[in-house]
Amino acid sequence: MTDLREELNRDAGEPLLPIEKKLIGWSLGLGVGLLVLLVIVNHLFPVS
Amino acid sequence: MANVSQVHDWREVRADNVALAPRISEDWLSLIIGLFVFVLALAGLGNVDLTGWVVTTAVWGNITQALGTVSKSYGALGGIGALVATYVALLVVLGGAAVALKTDVKKFALAFTAVFWLAYLSWIVGNYAHFAAVTPAELNKFGIAWSLKLTNEGGYIFALIGGLIIANVFPRFAETIREAVRPELYIKIAIVILGGVFAVTAASKLSLATSLLLRGTAAIIEAYLIYWAVVYFVARKWFGFSREWAAPLASGISICGVSAAIATGGAIRARPAIPVLVSSLVVVFAVVEVLILPFIATTFLAHEPLVAGAWMGLAVKTDGAAVAAGGITEALILAQNAAEGVKYQAGWMLGTTTTIKVFIDIFIGIWAFVLGYIWTNHINKTGDKAQASEIWQRFPKFIIGFVVTFVVGLILALATPSGLAAKVPAAIGEANTFRVIFFILTFFSIGVLSNFKRLWAEGIGKLAVVYAVSLFGFVIWVGLLISWLFFAGVKPPLAS
Repeated sequence: MTDLREELNRDAGEPLLPIEKKLIGWSLGLGVGLLVLLVIVNHLFPVS
Repeated sequence: MANVSQVHDWREVRADNVALAPRISEDWLSLIIGLFVFVLALAGLGNVDLTGWVVTTAVWGNITQALGTVSKSYGALGGIGALVATYVALLVVLGGAAVALKTDVKKFALAFTAVFWLAYLSWIVGNYAHFAAVTPAELNKFGIAWSLKLTNEGGYIFALIGGLIIANVFPRFAETIREAVRPELYIKIAIVILGGVFAVTAASKLSLATSLLLRGTAAIIEAYLIYWAVVYFVARKWFGFSREWAAPLASGISICGVSAAIATGGAIRARPAIPVLVSSLVVVFAVVEVLILPFIATTFLAHEPLVAGAWMGLAVKTDGAAVAAGGITEALILAQNAAEGVKYQAGWMLGTTTTIKVFIDIFIGIWAFVLGYIWTNHINKTGDKAQASEIWQRFPKFIIGFVVTFVVGLILALATPSGLAAKVPAAIGEANTFRVIFFILTFFSIGVLSNFKRLWAEGIGKLAVVYAVSLFGFVIWVGLLISWLFFAGVKPPLAS
Protein backbone atom coordinates (compact mmCIF):
# COMPACT_ATOMS: atom_id res chain seq x y z
CA MET A 1 0.00 0.00 0.00
CA THR A 2 1.23 3.47 -0.86
CA ASP A 3 0.30 6.22 1.55
CA LEU A 4 -0.06 9.88 0.66
CA ARG A 5 3.29 10.92 2.12
CA GLU A 6 5.02 8.28 0.04
CA GLU A 7 2.95 9.30 -2.94
CA LEU A 8 3.90 12.98 -2.56
CA ASN A 9 7.53 12.07 -2.17
CA ARG A 10 7.49 9.44 -4.89
CA ASP A 11 8.60 11.77 -7.66
CA ALA A 12 9.86 14.49 -5.35
CA GLY A 13 12.78 16.40 -6.71
CA GLU A 14 12.15 15.42 -10.31
CA PRO A 15 13.99 18.22 -12.14
CA LEU A 16 12.24 20.98 -14.00
CA LEU A 17 12.27 20.09 -17.67
CA PRO A 18 13.23 22.76 -20.20
CA ILE A 19 9.62 22.86 -21.37
CA GLU A 20 8.45 23.58 -17.82
CA LYS A 21 11.01 26.34 -17.42
CA LYS A 22 9.86 27.72 -20.74
CA LEU A 23 6.21 27.57 -19.63
CA ILE A 24 6.96 29.37 -16.35
CA GLY A 25 9.24 31.95 -17.97
CA TRP A 26 6.94 32.75 -20.87
CA SER A 27 3.89 32.90 -18.63
CA LEU A 28 5.52 35.32 -16.21
CA GLY A 29 7.15 37.41 -18.92
CA LEU A 30 3.99 37.64 -20.96
CA GLY A 31 1.88 38.24 -17.87
CA VAL A 32 4.00 41.07 -16.48
CA GLY A 33 4.40 42.64 -19.93
CA LEU A 34 0.69 42.58 -20.64
CA LEU A 35 -0.11 43.94 -17.20
CA VAL A 36 2.21 46.89 -17.73
CA LEU A 37 0.56 47.49 -21.09
CA LEU A 38 -2.90 47.37 -19.53
CA VAL A 39 -1.88 49.75 -16.74
CA ILE A 40 -0.75 52.23 -19.40
CA VAL A 41 -3.98 51.79 -21.36
CA ASN A 42 -5.92 52.17 -18.12
CA HIS A 43 -4.22 55.51 -17.52
CA LEU A 44 -4.82 56.67 -21.08
CA PHE A 45 -8.49 55.64 -21.03
CA PRO A 46 -9.67 55.97 -17.43
CA VAL A 47 -13.14 54.85 -16.38
CA SER A 48 -15.52 57.72 -16.90
CA MET B 1 -11.10 0.10 2.49
CA ALA B 2 -11.65 2.95 0.09
CA ASN B 3 -9.33 5.85 0.47
CA VAL B 4 -7.10 7.87 -1.76
CA SER B 5 -3.98 6.26 -0.45
CA GLN B 6 -4.71 2.84 -1.83
CA VAL B 7 -2.48 1.40 -4.48
CA HIS B 8 -5.50 1.01 -6.75
CA ASP B 9 -6.18 4.73 -6.72
CA TRP B 10 -2.62 5.86 -7.23
CA ARG B 11 -1.38 3.31 -9.68
CA GLU B 12 -4.11 2.10 -11.94
CA VAL B 13 -6.79 4.67 -12.48
CA ARG B 14 -6.34 7.44 -15.01
CA ALA B 15 -8.29 10.66 -14.81
CA ASP B 16 -10.05 10.06 -18.09
CA ASN B 17 -10.31 6.27 -17.83
CA VAL B 18 -9.24 5.96 -21.47
CA ALA B 19 -7.20 2.86 -20.79
CA LEU B 20 -9.70 1.22 -18.48
CA ALA B 21 -13.02 1.72 -20.25
CA PRO B 22 -13.01 -0.43 -23.36
CA ARG B 23 -16.38 0.70 -24.64
CA ILE B 24 -16.41 4.43 -23.96
CA SER B 25 -14.52 6.68 -21.60
CA GLU B 26 -15.96 8.73 -18.76
CA ASP B 27 -14.74 11.73 -20.70
CA TRP B 28 -17.04 11.06 -23.63
CA LEU B 29 -19.88 10.03 -21.34
CA SER B 30 -19.62 13.28 -19.42
CA LEU B 31 -19.75 15.19 -22.69
CA ILE B 32 -22.79 13.23 -23.88
CA ILE B 33 -24.69 13.50 -20.60
CA GLY B 34 -23.82 17.18 -20.15
CA LEU B 35 -24.98 18.04 -23.66
CA PHE B 36 -28.11 15.92 -23.16
CA VAL B 37 -29.06 17.95 -20.06
CA PHE B 38 -28.23 21.20 -21.87
CA VAL B 39 -30.36 20.33 -24.91
CA LEU B 40 -33.28 19.19 -22.73
CA ALA B 41 -33.16 22.49 -20.85
CA LEU B 42 -33.06 24.47 -24.12
CA ALA B 43 -36.43 22.98 -25.05
CA GLY B 44 -37.74 25.69 -22.75
CA LEU B 45 -37.01 28.18 -25.54
CA GLY B 46 -39.83 26.55 -27.49
CA ASN B 47 -42.10 26.76 -24.43
CA VAL B 48 -41.61 23.04 -23.74
CA ASP B 49 -40.38 22.68 -20.18
CA LEU B 50 -38.67 19.29 -20.02
CA THR B 51 -36.47 19.89 -16.98
CA GLY B 52 -38.58 22.07 -14.69
CA TRP B 53 -39.22 19.13 -12.36
CA VAL B 54 -35.65 19.01 -11.10
CA VAL B 55 -35.31 19.63 -7.37
CA THR B 56 -33.87 22.83 -5.99
CA THR B 57 -33.11 23.74 -2.39
CA ALA B 58 -33.62 27.12 -0.75
CA VAL B 59 -32.02 28.35 2.46
CA TRP B 60 -34.52 27.23 5.08
CA GLY B 61 -35.61 27.84 8.61
CA ASN B 62 -38.52 25.44 8.32
CA ILE B 63 -37.60 22.12 6.70
CA THR B 64 -40.95 21.86 4.89
CA GLN B 65 -39.94 24.91 2.84
CA ALA B 66 -36.50 23.64 1.88
CA LEU B 67 -37.29 21.75 -1.32
CA GLY B 68 -39.16 22.67 -4.49
CA THR B 69 -39.17 22.28 -8.24
CA VAL B 70 -37.00 24.65 -10.22
CA SER B 71 -39.99 25.60 -12.39
CA LYS B 72 -43.36 26.65 -11.06
CA SER B 73 -45.04 24.74 -13.88
CA TYR B 74 -44.12 21.53 -12.04
CA GLY B 75 -45.00 22.96 -8.62
CA ALA B 76 -47.68 20.31 -8.10
CA LEU B 77 -44.91 17.73 -7.69
CA GLY B 78 -43.90 19.31 -4.40
CA GLY B 79 -40.42 19.26 -2.93
CA ILE B 80 -40.27 15.54 -2.12
CA GLY B 81 -41.81 14.66 -5.49
CA ALA B 82 -39.17 16.75 -7.23
CA LEU B 83 -36.42 15.06 -5.25
CA VAL B 84 -37.73 11.58 -6.14
CA ALA B 85 -38.16 12.55 -9.80
CA THR B 86 -34.60 13.89 -9.88
CA TYR B 87 -33.28 10.70 -8.30
CA VAL B 88 -35.12 8.46 -10.77
CA ALA B 89 -34.00 10.52 -13.78
CA LEU B 90 -30.36 10.52 -12.70
CA LEU B 91 -30.51 6.81 -11.89
CA VAL B 92 -31.74 6.05 -15.41
CA VAL B 93 -29.21 8.30 -17.16
CA LEU B 94 -26.23 7.32 -15.03
CA GLY B 95 -27.35 3.67 -15.10
CA GLY B 96 -27.00 3.92 -18.87
CA ALA B 97 -23.51 5.30 -18.33
CA ALA B 98 -22.75 2.35 -16.05
CA VAL B 99 -23.75 -0.03 -18.85
CA ALA B 100 -21.46 1.80 -21.24
CA LEU B 101 -18.64 1.56 -18.70
CA LYS B 102 -19.29 -2.18 -18.38
CA THR B 103 -19.91 -2.01 -14.66
CA ASP B 104 -22.40 -4.12 -12.72
CA VAL B 105 -25.61 -2.13 -13.24
CA LYS B 106 -27.47 -3.62 -10.27
CA LYS B 107 -24.55 -2.88 -7.99
CA PHE B 108 -24.28 0.61 -9.44
CA ALA B 109 -28.00 1.29 -8.94
CA LEU B 110 -27.84 0.31 -5.28
CA ALA B 111 -24.68 2.30 -4.73
CA PHE B 112 -26.00 5.36 -6.55
CA THR B 113 -29.18 5.26 -4.48
CA ALA B 114 -27.11 5.57 -1.33
CA VAL B 115 -24.80 8.20 -2.81
CA PHE B 116 -27.64 10.37 -4.10
CA TRP B 117 -29.77 10.38 -0.96
CA LEU B 118 -26.91 10.81 1.47
CA ALA B 119 -25.33 13.55 -0.64
CA TYR B 120 -28.57 15.45 -1.08
CA LEU B 121 -29.43 15.09 2.58
CA SER B 122 -26.08 16.67 3.41
CA TRP B 123 -26.86 19.50 0.96
CA ILE B 124 -30.22 20.14 2.62
CA VAL B 125 -28.56 20.32 6.03
CA GLY B 126 -26.03 22.79 4.60
CA ASN B 127 -28.87 25.04 3.50
CA TYR B 128 -30.17 25.43 7.05
CA ALA B 129 -30.45 29.14 7.83
CA HIS B 130 -28.08 28.99 10.80
CA PHE B 131 -25.43 27.67 8.42
CA ALA B 132 -26.25 29.42 5.13
CA ALA B 133 -27.88 32.80 5.77
CA VAL B 134 -25.43 35.59 5.00
CA THR B 135 -26.92 39.06 4.96
CA PRO B 136 -28.66 40.86 7.84
CA ALA B 137 -31.81 40.82 5.69
CA GLU B 138 -31.65 37.02 5.54
CA LEU B 139 -31.10 36.76 9.29
CA ASN B 140 -34.17 38.96 9.78
CA LYS B 141 -36.14 36.90 7.29
CA PHE B 142 -35.51 33.71 9.24
CA GLY B 143 -35.75 35.40 12.63
CA ILE B 144 -32.31 34.25 13.73
CA ALA B 145 -29.56 36.13 15.52
CA TRP B 146 -26.53 34.29 14.19
CA SER B 147 -25.36 32.25 11.23
CA LEU B 148 -22.12 30.65 10.13
CA LYS B 149 -22.64 32.64 6.89
CA LEU B 150 -21.43 29.80 4.71
CA THR B 151 -23.98 30.71 1.98
CA ASN B 152 -26.12 28.02 0.39
CA GLU B 153 -23.02 26.83 -1.48
CA GLY B 154 -21.57 25.97 1.90
CA GLY B 155 -23.83 22.94 1.41
CA TYR B 156 -21.00 21.51 -0.68
CA ILE B 157 -18.93 21.43 2.49
CA PHE B 158 -21.64 19.45 4.19
CA ALA B 159 -21.75 16.99 1.31
CA LEU B 160 -17.99 16.67 1.55
CA ILE B 161 -18.20 16.15 5.31
CA GLY B 162 -20.96 13.57 4.82
CA GLY B 163 -18.67 11.64 2.51
CA LEU B 164 -15.75 12.02 4.89
CA ILE B 165 -17.79 10.63 7.76
CA ILE B 166 -18.65 7.59 5.68
CA ALA B 167 -15.04 7.09 4.58
CA ASN B 168 -13.66 7.44 8.08
CA VAL B 169 -16.38 6.01 10.31
CA PHE B 170 -18.00 3.45 8.01
CA PRO B 171 -15.19 2.31 5.70
CA ARG B 172 -16.95 -0.95 4.79
CA PHE B 173 -20.01 0.97 3.68
CA ALA B 174 -17.74 3.29 1.69
CA GLU B 175 -16.40 0.25 -0.13
CA THR B 176 -19.94 -1.02 -0.76
CA ILE B 177 -21.01 2.17 -2.55
CA ARG B 178 -17.73 2.64 -4.39
CA GLU B 179 -19.34 1.72 -7.74
CA ALA B 180 -21.19 5.07 -7.75
CA VAL B 181 -18.42 7.14 -6.21
CA ARG B 182 -17.26 8.78 -9.44
CA PRO B 183 -16.19 12.37 -8.83
CA GLU B 184 -14.53 12.69 -12.23
CA LEU B 185 -17.68 11.73 -14.13
CA TYR B 186 -19.90 14.00 -12.05
CA ILE B 187 -17.65 17.06 -12.21
CA LYS B 188 -17.05 16.76 -15.93
CA ILE B 189 -20.79 16.62 -16.59
CA ALA B 190 -21.14 19.71 -14.41
CA ILE B 191 -18.40 21.51 -16.33
CA VAL B 192 -20.08 20.79 -19.66
CA ILE B 193 -23.30 22.33 -18.32
CA LEU B 194 -21.32 25.18 -16.79
CA GLY B 195 -20.28 26.37 -20.26
CA GLY B 196 -23.87 27.42 -20.99
CA VAL B 197 -24.32 28.93 -17.55
CA PHE B 198 -21.21 31.07 -17.93
CA ALA B 199 -22.40 32.23 -21.36
CA VAL B 200 -25.65 33.51 -19.92
CA THR B 201 -23.87 35.18 -17.01
CA ALA B 202 -21.44 36.91 -19.37
CA ALA B 203 -24.24 37.99 -21.68
CA SER B 204 -26.41 39.31 -18.86
CA LYS B 205 -23.51 41.38 -17.53
CA LEU B 206 -22.43 42.56 -20.96
CA SER B 207 -22.96 46.29 -20.40
CA LEU B 208 -21.02 46.15 -17.15
CA ALA B 209 -18.56 43.72 -18.68
CA THR B 210 -17.91 46.14 -21.53
CA SER B 211 -16.82 48.95 -19.21
CA LEU B 212 -14.84 46.54 -17.08
CA LEU B 213 -13.35 44.62 -20.01
CA LEU B 214 -9.87 46.00 -19.54
CA ARG B 215 -9.90 45.13 -15.86
CA GLY B 216 -11.29 41.68 -16.56
CA THR B 217 -8.45 41.09 -18.97
CA ALA B 218 -6.01 42.05 -16.22
CA ALA B 219 -7.63 39.42 -13.98
CA ILE B 220 -7.22 36.74 -16.64
CA ILE B 221 -3.58 37.66 -17.12
CA GLU B 222 -3.00 37.66 -13.39
CA ALA B 223 -4.69 34.32 -12.68
CA TYR B 224 -3.39 32.33 -15.62
CA LEU B 225 -0.03 33.82 -16.47
CA ILE B 226 1.29 35.16 -13.16
CA TYR B 227 -0.41 33.22 -10.35
CA TRP B 228 -0.19 29.89 -12.12
CA ALA B 229 3.44 30.21 -13.09
CA VAL B 230 4.55 31.31 -9.62
CA VAL B 231 2.53 28.68 -7.74
CA TYR B 232 3.67 25.94 -10.11
CA PHE B 233 7.28 27.02 -9.61
CA VAL B 234 6.86 27.17 -5.80
CA ALA B 235 5.23 23.74 -5.70
CA ARG B 236 7.84 22.15 -7.95
CA LYS B 237 11.00 23.89 -6.81
CA TRP B 238 10.46 24.74 -3.16
CA PHE B 239 8.19 21.89 -2.09
CA GLY B 240 9.41 19.21 -4.48
CA PHE B 241 6.00 18.21 -5.85
CA SER B 242 5.88 16.11 -8.99
CA ARG B 243 4.41 17.60 -12.17
CA GLU B 244 1.28 15.52 -11.73
CA TRP B 245 0.62 17.16 -8.36
CA ALA B 246 1.97 20.64 -9.07
CA ALA B 247 -0.19 21.41 -12.12
CA PRO B 248 -3.64 20.75 -10.56
CA LEU B 249 -2.44 22.41 -7.36
CA ALA B 250 -1.33 25.53 -9.27
CA SER B 251 -4.64 25.67 -11.13
CA GLY B 252 -6.64 25.16 -7.94
CA ILE B 253 -4.86 27.98 -6.11
CA SER B 254 -4.57 30.32 -9.07
CA ILE B 255 -7.66 30.08 -11.18
CA CYS B 256 -11.07 28.94 -10.16
CA GLY B 257 -10.54 26.33 -7.51
CA VAL B 258 -12.33 23.05 -7.99
CA SER B 259 -13.23 23.31 -11.68
CA ALA B 260 -9.74 24.42 -12.65
CA ALA B 261 -8.01 21.75 -10.58
CA ILE B 262 -10.14 18.99 -12.06
CA ALA B 263 -10.00 20.36 -15.60
CA THR B 264 -6.21 20.54 -15.33
CA GLY B 265 -6.04 17.08 -13.78
CA GLY B 266 -8.00 15.70 -16.73
CA ALA B 267 -5.97 17.65 -19.25
CA ILE B 268 -2.58 16.44 -18.03
CA ARG B 269 -3.93 12.93 -17.40
CA ALA B 270 -3.36 13.04 -13.66
CA ARG B 271 -4.86 10.22 -11.62
CA PRO B 272 -8.29 11.20 -10.30
CA ALA B 273 -7.35 11.22 -6.63
CA ILE B 274 -4.95 14.11 -7.20
CA PRO B 275 -7.33 16.86 -8.42
CA VAL B 276 -9.95 15.48 -6.04
CA LEU B 277 -7.63 15.96 -3.10
CA VAL B 278 -6.60 19.41 -4.31
CA SER B 279 -10.30 20.27 -4.67
CA SER B 280 -11.02 19.40 -1.08
CA LEU B 281 -8.27 21.80 0.01
CA VAL B 282 -9.60 24.50 -2.33
CA VAL B 283 -13.02 24.30 -0.72
CA VAL B 284 -11.71 24.42 2.82
CA PHE B 285 -9.48 27.42 2.09
CA ALA B 286 -12.27 29.17 0.14
CA VAL B 287 -14.53 28.96 3.18
CA VAL B 288 -11.75 30.40 5.35
CA GLU B 289 -11.33 33.24 2.84
CA VAL B 290 -15.06 33.99 2.80
CA LEU B 291 -15.07 34.27 6.55
CA ILE B 292 -12.00 36.54 6.77
CA LEU B 293 -11.40 38.65 3.64
CA PRO B 294 -14.67 40.66 3.54
CA PHE B 295 -13.94 41.96 7.03
CA ILE B 296 -10.34 42.87 6.11
CA ALA B 297 -11.66 44.61 2.97
CA THR B 298 -14.21 46.54 5.02
CA THR B 299 -11.55 47.65 7.48
CA PHE B 300 -9.01 48.85 4.95
CA LEU B 301 -10.90 49.44 1.68
CA ALA B 302 -14.21 50.98 2.73
CA HIS B 303 -13.37 54.12 0.72
CA GLU B 304 -12.31 52.13 -2.35
CA PRO B 305 -15.39 49.97 -2.87
CA LEU B 306 -14.56 48.67 -6.33
CA VAL B 307 -11.03 47.75 -5.29
CA ALA B 308 -12.65 45.66 -2.54
CA GLY B 309 -15.12 44.05 -5.00
CA ALA B 310 -12.38 43.25 -7.51
CA TRP B 311 -10.18 41.85 -4.76
CA MET B 312 -12.83 39.33 -3.76
CA GLY B 313 -13.08 38.16 -7.37
CA LEU B 314 -9.31 37.76 -7.65
CA ALA B 315 -8.51 36.33 -4.24
CA VAL B 316 -11.38 34.00 -3.31
CA LYS B 317 -11.39 30.67 -5.11
CA THR B 318 -14.51 28.87 -6.38
CA ASP B 319 -17.35 30.84 -7.94
CA GLY B 320 -19.81 30.46 -5.10
CA ALA B 321 -17.37 31.54 -2.42
CA ALA B 322 -16.11 34.50 -4.47
CA VAL B 323 -19.56 35.85 -5.23
CA ALA B 324 -20.63 35.27 -1.62
CA ALA B 325 -17.56 37.20 -0.45
CA GLY B 326 -18.41 40.01 -2.90
CA GLY B 327 -21.96 40.15 -1.54
CA ILE B 328 -20.83 40.25 2.07
CA THR B 329 -18.17 42.86 1.28
CA GLU B 330 -20.72 45.03 -0.49
CA ALA B 331 -23.18 44.83 2.40
CA LEU B 332 -20.50 45.70 4.96
CA ILE B 333 -18.92 48.55 2.97
CA LEU B 334 -22.24 50.11 1.95
CA ALA B 335 -23.28 50.11 5.61
CA GLN B 336 -20.02 51.68 6.75
CA ASN B 337 -20.16 54.43 4.11
CA ALA B 338 -23.82 55.10 4.86
CA ALA B 339 -22.88 55.59 8.51
CA GLU B 340 -20.42 58.26 7.31
CA GLY B 341 -23.10 59.92 5.21
CA VAL B 342 -22.05 58.53 1.80
CA LYS B 343 -24.70 56.39 0.18
CA TYR B 344 -23.51 54.39 -2.83
CA GLN B 345 -25.78 52.54 -5.23
CA ALA B 346 -25.92 48.85 -4.44
CA GLY B 347 -24.79 46.23 -6.91
CA TRP B 348 -21.57 47.73 -8.24
CA MET B 349 -19.16 45.90 -5.95
CA LEU B 350 -20.90 42.58 -6.40
CA GLY B 351 -21.08 43.24 -10.14
CA THR B 352 -17.33 43.83 -10.22
CA THR B 353 -16.63 40.62 -8.28
CA THR B 354 -18.92 38.60 -10.52
CA THR B 355 -17.58 40.05 -13.76
CA ILE B 356 -13.99 39.34 -12.83
CA LYS B 357 -14.85 35.81 -11.76
CA VAL B 358 -16.73 35.14 -14.98
CA PHE B 359 -13.86 36.43 -17.07
CA ILE B 360 -11.46 34.12 -15.28
CA ASP B 361 -13.84 31.15 -15.56
CA ILE B 362 -14.28 31.51 -19.28
CA PHE B 363 -10.66 30.61 -19.89
CA ILE B 364 -10.50 27.43 -17.81
CA GLY B 365 -11.12 25.30 -20.88
CA ILE B 366 -8.54 27.14 -22.95
CA TRP B 367 -5.92 26.91 -20.22
CA ALA B 368 -6.64 23.20 -19.80
CA PHE B 369 -6.15 22.82 -23.54
CA VAL B 370 -2.81 24.67 -23.41
CA LEU B 371 -1.59 22.49 -20.55
CA GLY B 372 -2.96 19.35 -22.20
CA TYR B 373 -1.08 20.21 -25.38
CA ILE B 374 2.21 20.81 -23.55
CA TRP B 375 1.89 17.69 -21.42
CA THR B 376 0.89 15.34 -24.21
CA ASN B 377 3.34 16.81 -26.69
CA HIS B 378 6.38 17.43 -24.53
CA ILE B 379 6.14 15.78 -21.11
CA ASN B 380 4.16 12.53 -21.12
CA LYS B 381 5.28 11.30 -24.50
CA THR B 382 4.86 7.61 -25.15
CA GLY B 383 7.48 6.18 -27.46
CA ASP B 384 9.91 8.35 -29.31
CA LYS B 385 7.39 10.69 -30.81
CA ALA B 386 3.78 11.38 -29.97
CA GLN B 387 1.33 10.59 -32.74
CA ALA B 388 -1.39 13.02 -33.66
CA SER B 389 -3.99 10.37 -32.85
CA GLU B 390 -2.50 9.97 -29.40
CA ILE B 391 -2.82 13.68 -28.76
CA TRP B 392 -6.48 13.43 -29.71
CA GLN B 393 -6.93 10.34 -27.53
CA ARG B 394 -5.51 12.25 -24.58
CA PHE B 395 -7.41 15.41 -25.27
CA PRO B 396 -10.00 15.97 -22.50
CA LYS B 397 -13.23 15.62 -24.46
CA PHE B 398 -15.44 17.24 -21.85
CA ILE B 399 -13.77 20.55 -22.74
CA ILE B 400 -15.40 20.28 -26.17
CA GLY B 401 -18.74 20.09 -24.40
CA PHE B 402 -17.85 23.12 -22.30
CA VAL B 403 -16.95 25.13 -25.41
CA VAL B 404 -20.07 23.98 -27.30
CA THR B 405 -22.48 24.91 -24.51
CA PHE B 406 -20.69 28.23 -23.97
CA VAL B 407 -20.82 29.21 -27.65
CA VAL B 408 -24.42 28.08 -28.10
CA GLY B 409 -25.47 29.84 -24.90
CA LEU B 410 -23.77 33.07 -25.92
CA ILE B 411 -25.27 32.99 -29.42
CA LEU B 412 -28.73 32.35 -28.01
CA ALA B 413 -28.41 35.09 -25.41
CA LEU B 414 -26.98 37.73 -27.72
CA ALA B 415 -27.84 36.96 -31.31
CA THR B 416 -31.47 35.86 -31.22
CA PRO B 417 -34.64 37.97 -31.26
CA SER B 418 -35.20 39.60 -27.87
CA GLY B 419 -38.28 37.47 -27.16
CA LEU B 420 -36.25 34.29 -27.54
CA ALA B 421 -33.14 35.67 -25.82
CA ALA B 422 -35.20 36.61 -22.79
CA LYS B 423 -36.06 32.93 -22.27
CA VAL B 424 -32.43 31.78 -22.35
CA PRO B 425 -31.49 32.56 -18.71
CA ALA B 426 -34.49 30.62 -17.38
CA ALA B 427 -33.85 27.64 -19.68
CA ILE B 428 -30.14 27.44 -18.87
CA GLY B 429 -30.97 28.15 -15.23
CA GLU B 430 -32.76 24.79 -15.18
CA ALA B 431 -29.65 23.12 -16.60
CA ASN B 432 -27.67 24.91 -13.91
CA THR B 433 -29.77 23.20 -11.25
CA PHE B 434 -28.47 19.89 -12.59
CA ARG B 435 -24.97 21.36 -12.47
CA VAL B 436 -25.46 22.05 -8.76
CA ILE B 437 -26.62 18.47 -8.19
CA PHE B 438 -23.59 17.06 -10.01
CA PHE B 439 -21.39 19.32 -7.88
CA ILE B 440 -23.07 17.90 -4.76
CA LEU B 441 -22.45 14.34 -5.98
CA THR B 442 -18.85 15.29 -6.72
CA PHE B 443 -18.18 16.69 -3.28
CA PHE B 444 -19.82 13.75 -1.57
CA SER B 445 -17.78 11.37 -3.71
CA ILE B 446 -14.63 13.27 -2.89
CA GLY B 447 -15.39 12.74 0.78
CA VAL B 448 -16.07 9.04 0.36
CA LEU B 449 -12.77 8.59 -1.46
CA SER B 450 -10.83 10.36 1.27
CA ASN B 451 -9.86 8.81 4.54
CA PHE B 452 -9.06 12.29 5.76
CA LYS B 453 -7.85 11.31 9.19
CA ARG B 454 -5.40 8.94 7.66
CA LEU B 455 -4.45 11.36 4.89
CA TRP B 456 -3.60 14.03 7.41
CA ALA B 457 -1.48 11.60 9.37
CA GLU B 458 0.21 10.50 6.18
CA GLY B 459 1.15 13.87 4.77
CA ILE B 460 -1.69 16.02 3.45
CA GLY B 461 -0.18 18.72 5.67
CA LYS B 462 2.44 19.28 2.99
CA LEU B 463 -0.27 20.05 0.45
CA ALA B 464 -2.01 22.36 2.89
CA VAL B 465 1.24 24.20 3.60
CA VAL B 466 2.01 24.87 -0.06
CA TYR B 467 -1.59 25.97 -0.53
CA ALA B 468 -1.46 28.30 2.48
CA VAL B 469 1.94 29.73 1.54
CA SER B 470 0.83 30.44 -2.02
CA LEU B 471 -2.61 31.77 -1.14
CA PHE B 472 -1.85 33.89 1.90
CA GLY B 473 1.72 34.73 0.98
CA PHE B 474 1.22 35.65 -2.66
CA VAL B 475 -2.16 35.24 -4.38
CA ILE B 476 -4.19 37.42 -2.02
CA TRP B 477 -1.71 40.32 -1.95
CA VAL B 478 -0.93 40.37 -5.66
CA GLY B 479 -4.71 40.31 -6.20
CA LEU B 480 -4.99 43.35 -3.95
CA LEU B 481 -2.21 45.15 -5.83
CA ILE B 482 -3.77 44.50 -9.23
CA SER B 483 -7.22 45.50 -7.95
CA TRP B 484 -5.73 48.72 -6.64
CA LEU B 485 -3.91 49.46 -9.90
CA PHE B 486 -7.08 49.13 -11.97
CA PHE B 487 -9.89 50.20 -9.66
CA ALA B 488 -8.44 52.76 -7.23
CA GLY B 489 -10.37 56.01 -7.45
CA VAL B 490 -13.26 54.43 -9.37
CA LYS B 491 -16.35 54.92 -7.23
CA PRO B 492 -19.82 53.50 -7.63
CA PRO B 493 -22.46 56.11 -8.43
CA LEU B 494 -24.21 57.68 -5.46
CA ALA B 495 -27.73 56.53 -4.71
CA SER B 496 -30.28 59.12 -5.69
